[in-house]
Formats: sequence, C-alpha cells, structure tokens
Amino acid sequence: MIDALLVPLHYEYMVKAILVSGLIGGVCAFLSCFVTLKGWSLMGDALSHSVVPGVAVAYIVGLPFAAGAFATGLVAALGMGLIKTKTALREDAVIGVVFTSFFALGLLLISLFPSSVDLRTIIFGNILGIADPDIWQIVIISAVTLGVLGLKWRDLLLFCFDPNQARALGLNVRLLHFLLLTLLSATAVAALQTVGACLVVAMLVTPGATAYLLTDRFSTMLKLAASMGVGTSLIGAYVSYFFDGSTGGCIVTLQSLLFVLALVFAPKHGLLAARALRRSLS
Amino acid sequence: MIEKLLEPFQFPFMQDAMLAGAVVAAVCAVLSCYLVLKGWSLMGDAISHAVLPGIVIAYALGAPLALGAFFSGLFCAVSTGFIKANSRIKEDTVMGVVFTGLFAFGLVLFTKVKSDLHLDHILFGNILGIEPRDLKEMLWIGGGTLAIVLALRKDLLLFCFDPSHARTIGLRTNFLYYLLLSLLAATIVASLKAVGIILVIAMLVTPGCVGFLFADRFGPMLAIASVGAVFSAVAGVYVSFFINGSTAACIVLVQTLLFIVALLFAPKRGLLTRRTVPLATQGS
Repeated sequence: MIDALLVPLHYEYMVKAILVSGLIGGVCAFLSCFVTLKGWSLMGDALSHSVVPGVAVAYIVGLPFAAGAFATGLVAALGMGLIKTKTALREDAVIGVVFTSFFALGLLLISLFPSSVDLRTIIFGNILGIADPDIWQIVIISAVTLGVLGLKWRDLLLFCFDPNQARALGLNVRLLHFLLLTLLSATAVAALQTVGACLVVAMLVTPGATAYLLTDRFSTMLKLAASMGVGTSLIGAYVSYFFDGSTGGCIVTLQSLLFVLALVFAPKHGLLAARALRRSLS
Repeated sequence: MIEKLLEPFQFPFMQDAMLAGAVVAAVCAVLSCYLVLKGWSLMGDAISHAVLPGIVIAYALGAPLALGAFFSGLFCAVSTGFIKANSRIKEDTVMGVVFTGLFAFGLVLFTKVKSDLHLDHILFGNILGIEPRDLKEMLWIGGGTLAIVLALRKDLLLFCFDPSHARTIGLRTNFLYYLLLSLLAATIVASLKAVGIILVIAMLVTPGCVGFLFADRFGPMLAIASVGAVFSAVAGVYVSFFINGSTAACIVLVQTLLFIVALLFAPKRGLLTRRTVPLATQGS
C-alpha cells in the first residue's frame, strides 16, 4: 500500500513536476491576494489567454517561450487600456473582445504549424514533460516576481485597496498599475506551463479568495493564500500521477474544494457563521 | 480562377459548415447585444467553461449531452449568484473561482470516464465534421432561443438597460434574469459543436461591440451585429478552406477585423472619423 503511494516519487520527472508546481502555486497565490482585492479576476483570465499567440510564435521561431508570451500579454493589456479609454464600451466587453481575438490568433497559428507547437501543451499545460530550460525560465520569473512583491507589497496593497489614497500619498499610481499588470502577465506565463491557459485564472484567484474568507488581516491573508497555493499544487501534482496526467485539473479541483470548505465553515465569514449570527440576533 | 474561388461551395461538408456557422453566429450575435449592454461578458465566459463537467456526466449516465451541458452551465450561474449574495467576495472573483473549479472538475472527470468524446472537439468545435443530426439540434435550440429573445426583446432590453425601471413598471425582473441566463446557456450549448467552448465567448461579445460602435439605437445595433456575425461565419469558414487553419479561429478573427474597422471608422464613434471625444467616455 505504502509502496504504491510512493511510486510517483521514484520518477525524476514526477519529483521535478511536483516541486515546480509548488513554486508556481506559491507565487500565483501570493499575487492572487492583490488580484482579488483589486477585482482583476477577468484581467487574469484575459492575460492568460492572450499569451497564447506569443507562446506559439516563440515555439515556431525557437525563442524562449516566456519572452514571446510576455510580449503578447503586454500588447493585449495595452490594447485593452487603449480601447477602453477611447470608446464608450464597457470594460468587460473590451477585455472579452481583445483576449478572445488574441486566443483565436494563437489557435490559428498553432493550426498552421502543427509540428512545432502542441496545442494540448498550451491549453492544459505539460508540467510532467517539462524541459529543463523551461524550468529555468519559470524559476527566474518566480524569483523576480517574488522579489518585486516583497519590496513593493505595501505600495501595491494601498493601490489595490484605495487608488485615490495612494495617489494622495504621492505614490506613482500609473507605475503601480503597470507593475501589477506586468507581474500578472509574468506569472500567467509561468502558470501556463503547469495548469494550461484555461486554468491559470484559478491559480491567480482562488487561493486569494479562500484566504479572504478566513482572515481580516492582509499579512495573514498572504501567508494563508501562499501556503494553500503551495500545498494544493504539491498534492495536486502528486495525485495527478494516478489521474493520467491532468495536473492542472487536479490542482485546481483541490483549490476549489478548499474554497468550498472555507465558504461553508470559515469562522467569521462562512455561511454557517453567518447563519448562527442571524439566529442569535433574532 | 473563379472556379478555384467557388470550389469551397461545392463540398457538402463546407455547405453544412457555413450553414451551421451562420445559424450559431446569428443567435450569438443577437444575444451579445444584450450581454454587452448588461455587462455580462464574463458571464458568457464562465458558463461556457462550466459546461464541461455536465457533458462528461451526461455521457457517463447516457443522457443527451446538450442537457448535461445546459444544466451544468446554469448551475455555474446560479451558484455564482448564491455565493455572491452570501459572502463578502466580489462578483468577478466568485465567477473566476466557480467556473475554473467546474472546468477543472470536468477535466479530472474526463480522464476518469472512458469515452469516445474528443476533448479537442468540445474545446474548439468541429464545424467541418458536423453531422446532419447535430445541425438539426443546433437549428432547434438556436431557433427556439432566437424566437424567445425576439418575442420578449423589449422587456429584455429594459431589464438590461435599467433593471430598477423595469421593476417599477411591473416587469418580473427575477424571471427575466433567469430567462436571460437560460438563453445564454442554451446558446452556448447550441454553439458547442461548431466553435467549441473557448471561442464561443468571442461570438457572444464581439458582434455586440461592433453593433454598439456603429449604431445609436438598439434596433440597428441588433441588425448590424447579426449581419456582421453571419458574414464573419461564412467568410471564416471560406478562408479556413484555403489556408487550412482552424475554422473556429478564422471565424473569430474575421469578427475581430470587423471590430477593428468599427473601432476606427464607425461614422460617429470611430477613432478616425469623430472630431470630439464623446461625452460618455469622459465620465468613465
């Protein structure tokens, strides 16, 4: 029995996948606290789809995937910003138009060059078959993201919470906006490798939302989210050995389960706590 | 030369694909006008992803796939509404959590249920391999949706534009809310086989935006959105025949081109054709 459970750990590729997933899960979860506070979930979804043409081009031309992905992610973000300020269209509609267009472009490129890119790798991630150079790209992205977040988290927090106050205090709000977008694109690129384009947004939203239900302090929220992100990613990647390799599906399903638990049982903000409060008041 | 250009029209599978694309595009375009006004673009995104576990479960139970997809999409919308009303999390975050959770669950189920379903066909559609049976189903669901929307177009419009006014004059806004959600889920189900669950989002947002940029009144907006979308579907299928690329992607990219044209050259609101900044953007 124990032997059967330890089987995945005997394979080098599994150990690698588990560790890399844990790293990405942690970084994404860290960022997810800011994303949920700012209300940028749709942005995370949009960026993770918009990087697809960049990844496709990078693979076709033979560049590092991160460079291509990062470039298209930023172009998409700038395009959205531009269209939003220049038209009367609602923001969500603009985001919808831009990211689906980018995604369709990526899909077309992949269908035109089927030999150089595997569609499934991009849509579902391919952490079990990840190559060493790709691991290095992810480690670098994670280190830079964590470093920037570590240095700037107070400013970013204020920016997410109350941009006007941040501006009044003399912070460069435009720079912070751009910084957060950049970090979001960078982590979306890293997460693409683990869970794929469709599920990146879960890594960038769910841990933060779960932690938000459990605490009222931001520093606690960061810690809770990060540990949940790391934990679910490690376990999810491990469990996926028994599920024919749907790593992204396993990780995100675990994260969703934690969210449901927090939603029902959270001490102060859970459904049960709210019901008890109502009962004691009436 | 001309013969070469007419070649795609001679294959029955191309004719079917164009017909299916046009039907799906028309229904999606009509609905997209309401979604764009209501600010529900993300809702289309969420419901379309959430359809996956429903399809797999319906397959395992031997039920019609469309039925499973429909209910799983509705479940996503309803549970999003419930969580939003009962917790302190913002709506967009709730939606992100719920639809990705369902999609991930669908993926895990998919690997465990042995089936002859093709994940690629669910995600990206298989418009060139559409069967007469699918086409018939699409026409029924699409036609039904279109009929309901057109019959209630005034009520739905008021509901999207100004829900409190709709309530004051005695419309049942709760009913309209669930009706619009159900119509959205049904449309997504109908479009699945043609464009797949990822690109249907484009079909549900872009035409409405094009119409919005071109027209000042809702009637013309509807007309422009539908005509543009049907044209994009036929043109997309046609182009994909020659470049041998993904058909669904071609359809969406033609729509994107129309959007860019509208963005730059729309008579009143185009970036290159207008002289002053419209009032509406100064406030937002």
